[in-house]
Amino acid sequence: MTFSRRDFIKTAGIALGAASLPSWVYYAEAADAVYAEVNKDALADAAISTAKRLGASYADIRINRYRLEAVSTRERQVQNLSSGQNFGFGVRVLINGTWGFAASPIVTVDEVRRITTEAAAIAKANSAITRRKIELVPTPKAAANWKSSFERDPFDVPAEEKVAILLKINEAALGVKGINFVNSSIASVNEQKYLANSDGSRIEQYIIRTSPSFSATATDRSTGDFQAVNSLREAQQIGFEYMTKHDWAAEARTAAEHAVMKLKAPSVTPGKYDLVLHPSHLFLTIHESVGHPTELDRALLWEANYAGTSFLTPDKTGKLQYGSKMVNFVADRTQSGGLATVAYDDEGVPGQSWHLVKDGLFVDWQTTRDTAKLIGKNKSYGCLHADSWSSVPFPRMPNVSLQPAQENVSQDDLIAGVDKGILIYGRGSYSIDQQRYNFQFGGQTFWEIKGGKVTGMLRDVAYQSRTTDFWGSLDGLGGQATYELPGSPNDGKGEPGQSNAVSHGCPPARFRNINVLNTASGSTAGRMEDHD
Amino acid sequence: MLLTEKEVRTLTEKILSMVNADDATAGVGSNKQSHLRFAANNVLTSGSREGRSANVTVWIGGKRGSASTNDLDDASLKAMVEQAETIARNAPPDREYVPTLSKQTYKPVTSYVEATANLSLTDRAKQIGAILSELEKNNVIGAGFHSASSQAGGSATKNGNFEFERSTGVGLSVTSRTPDGTSSGYFLRSHHDIGKLDTMRIARESIRKALEGRNARAIEPGIYTVILEPQAVADLIGNFGFGFNARTAEEGRSVFSAPGGKTKLGEKVFDEKVTIYSDPWHTELPGSQSAQGGIPAQRIVMVDKGVLKNLNYNRFWAKQKNTDPTPGPVNTILETSGPTSTLEEMIKSTERGILVSRFWYIRSTDARTASSTGLTRDGVWWVENGKIAYPLKNFRFNQSTVKMLGPGNVLMVGKPERVGSSEGGGGSLLPALKLKEFNFTSQSEAV
Repeated sequence: MTFSRRDFIKTAGIALGAASLPSWVYYAEAADAVYAEVNKDALADAAISTAKRLGASYADIRINRYRLEAVSTRERQVQNLSSGQNFGFGVRVLINGTWGFAASPIVTVDEVRRITTEAAAIAKANSAITRRKIELVPTPKAAANWKSSFERDPFDVPAEEKVAILLKINEAALGVKGINFVNSSIASVNEQKYLANSDGSRIEQYIIRTSPSFSATATDRSTGDFQAVNSLREAQQIGFEYMTKHDWAAEARTAAEHAVMKLKAPSVTPGKYDLVLHPSHLFLTIHESVGHPTELDRALLWEANYAGTSFLTPDKTGKLQYGSKMVNFVADRTQSGGLATVAYDDEGVPGQSWHLVKDGLFVDWQTTRDTAKLIGKNKSYGCLHADSWSSVPFPRMPNVSLQPAQENVSQDDLIAGVDKGILIYGRGSYSIDQQRYNFQFGGQTFWEIKGGKVTGMLRDVAYQSRTTDFWGSLDGLGGQATYELPGSPNDGKGEPGQSNAVSHGCPPARFRNINVLNTASGSTAGRMEDHD
Repeated sequence: MLLTEKEVRTLTEKILSMVNADDATAGVGSNKQSHLRFAANNVLTSGSREGRSANVTVWIGGKRGSASTNDLDDASLKAMVEQAETIARNAPPDREYVPTLSKQTYKPVTSYVEATANLSLTDRAKQIGAILSELEKNNVIGAGFHSASSQAGGSATKNGNFEFERSTGVGLSVTSRTPDGTSSGYFLRSHHDIGKLDTMRIARESIRKALEGRNARAIEPGIYTVILEPQAVADLIGNFGFGFNARTAEEGRSVFSAPGGKTKLGEKVFDEKVTIYSDPWHTELPGSQSAQGGIPAQRIVMVDKGVLKNLNYNRFWAKQKNTDPTPGPVNTILETSGPTSTLEEMIKSTERGILVSRFWYIRSTDARTASSTGLTRDGVWWVENGKIAYPLKNFRFNQSTVKMLGPGNVLMVGKPERVGSSEGGGGSLLPALKLKEFNFTSQSEAV
């Protein structure tokens, strides 16, 4: 066995680390060195020349490394402290208008040639049954090296600092009388992505995401009742500064107080209510009822077997009224802090910003190079993404955000305009049909509004509506000062299933006359009321 | 290439030899996956991937650290162990630490089939090509997903245990839609043996449902008697066997919690026609030889004729409660000890009811009652006077799963079939069910 330069760097890094600094720093640096030392351009040349020789009209190779650190705790103890890394490459070829893909964790030139040959064999085997050839819209050749915005790399933060923050959160919650259980966690993700394609593009990207969460549970052992409230803050494309800029312990104390309140709160009476939805809740409503229906692959029936299709079809572009005139949704892969923000997508298309819904009218789609071609477009909006070097890239959602009002409107201003309503915070249970018409969403905390004021807490609330009716009922938006950028780190789609991280900026918004149901009435009567 | 038992033993021993900690467990895995996805009657994406991984968990003075890597060379494994040990040295005490297992004896499970692991690209293309032709012949627009995988791996502990397992899996799902977009059908089956996967049957069932579902009518939501096909049952309770958690029940935050800090163990929570168990060696649905924490798996009954028999104790919680840890579950099997009925018999015995093919987007709404919401999808029919009368448009439901299977609500039980959840998850053996009441709460126009 020969002693490669890669082995030397790794061993040297570890040895030095043992001598001077905490070894995890050098663990990371040793692995960093492996990634940095690999001659990616040479591997890319091997993949693309092999693919071309085998008849590919297009080919790309992604050489990616992923790091993950997870810390999770419950009450006064640490449940898990783990660190992982994952490194490999995937090659995609288009031969006779048919895709082929193969991937391997062995990052050598010989393996790249073998895997490219396998991807070509898959494409050729399947091209025999292909009915219509895949074609791509062009995109300019690009060379780039991009880092997402962060101040403190979470992978440089000692584990004990992370543990201390989480145990402080737990202690704050446990300090509230009636709280029996609390869980908290921080997951840190680093994607190091290299893309080369047969257009001549060579792109490196370095992305950091931080996903904190906690949940405080109050139980009433005499009745067997229990209620939980989760953190209202969501994952962001941000560094570890996220954990120190926000007062997590204060939020945990409030959440714990709310969990205890929820045990005694009156159960909602089903019926029609006006809703004021806080960004911590509204972002997921946007995700489900706007983000997914405007994915072009769904409208083209590509997701018919799993995630579903869309009530939108290409002929409705520029014609369908999606919501009231106040509604503007912008897709954006350039927004700072957005989980889906990139410089380039996974086929070399630059990050862009564009309207999906303008002044209430549905105007455009989320596209990739192959889907754009099918609706006669000559460029892609750059929505191709794979969650791993070993996953086939396919259309995924950019950040899709609801634009705030131009005026300086506060959440209290929105509440002041409600006579009978409910204010909802936080993500709860979310369910929507496969064409994105009928949805039912819950939340974390629910507050009754009477005569323009919040009067107290409610529980067991969910609302059910139809997408265009719901957005058509929007008649109030918060201003720029109320705008937040929550996101979801694990949006599932595709077969094999893949995960995508995506944000949805929004202000609080007001919706009129929405159907509210009681999610607990089934627990006693065996039935659930849902007035329509 | 998948790792052999010898390679897994060598690698785990190597990792453990690098460990200086008091206690440790090391795991090594390898996998191969291959898929073909088609949509709009055309090939969409297709690919293969190989993966491998190593992980180690160590305890130093009762403090725990874990690390993982997908690079199995010596330097990476050593770096991984050092990482885990550094984390452990800096961690607070692990209050849930239980010493790793000493040598265990496992009864092997047969779930690896060579023919599945060595899937031929050409054969698969031919099968999917035949399905595309069948879809075209019937004038429907089809989408589907064929996937095959094989995995091999194992783990070893510093206290002398070692286990190795390998398995295969293959599955195909097909959705057919009528060109006008007014009807859709779906069928999914999976198995560990590719020879048992009838791909053309899957396509034809999907097509049949799409063609028979045309001209669907909308009826008012409400509480109806339902007949759930095995797929619909799998979507609702495919992973139900894994939900019988002792700790959450005893902590007072589960549907199996009882007032006063007690649990419902021993109570008749379900209908007497319902028995739910896990069996690692079931020939139709092999599970795993190793249950939670590496304990040798055993056949374990969670619900026996409606009575809650077992809750799942992990090794830590069992020690706290002075009981034995639970050797399972490793799969979910629901059957009745009484007579079974065919789907046709269920329809024939129904005066007014709804036949459901599949559910979708099921999300929990209330953990206290195991209630969830979701929608029907890809085939709903009105049954009247013992016959399927006409197709229906979809519904949203809100329903407690436990009440759904509760005393008096289960009218008829079919013979269990191997089915997979259409929202992902492993296989299970589940029957068709006829239920007295099921709560549909709104209409859905989605197709």
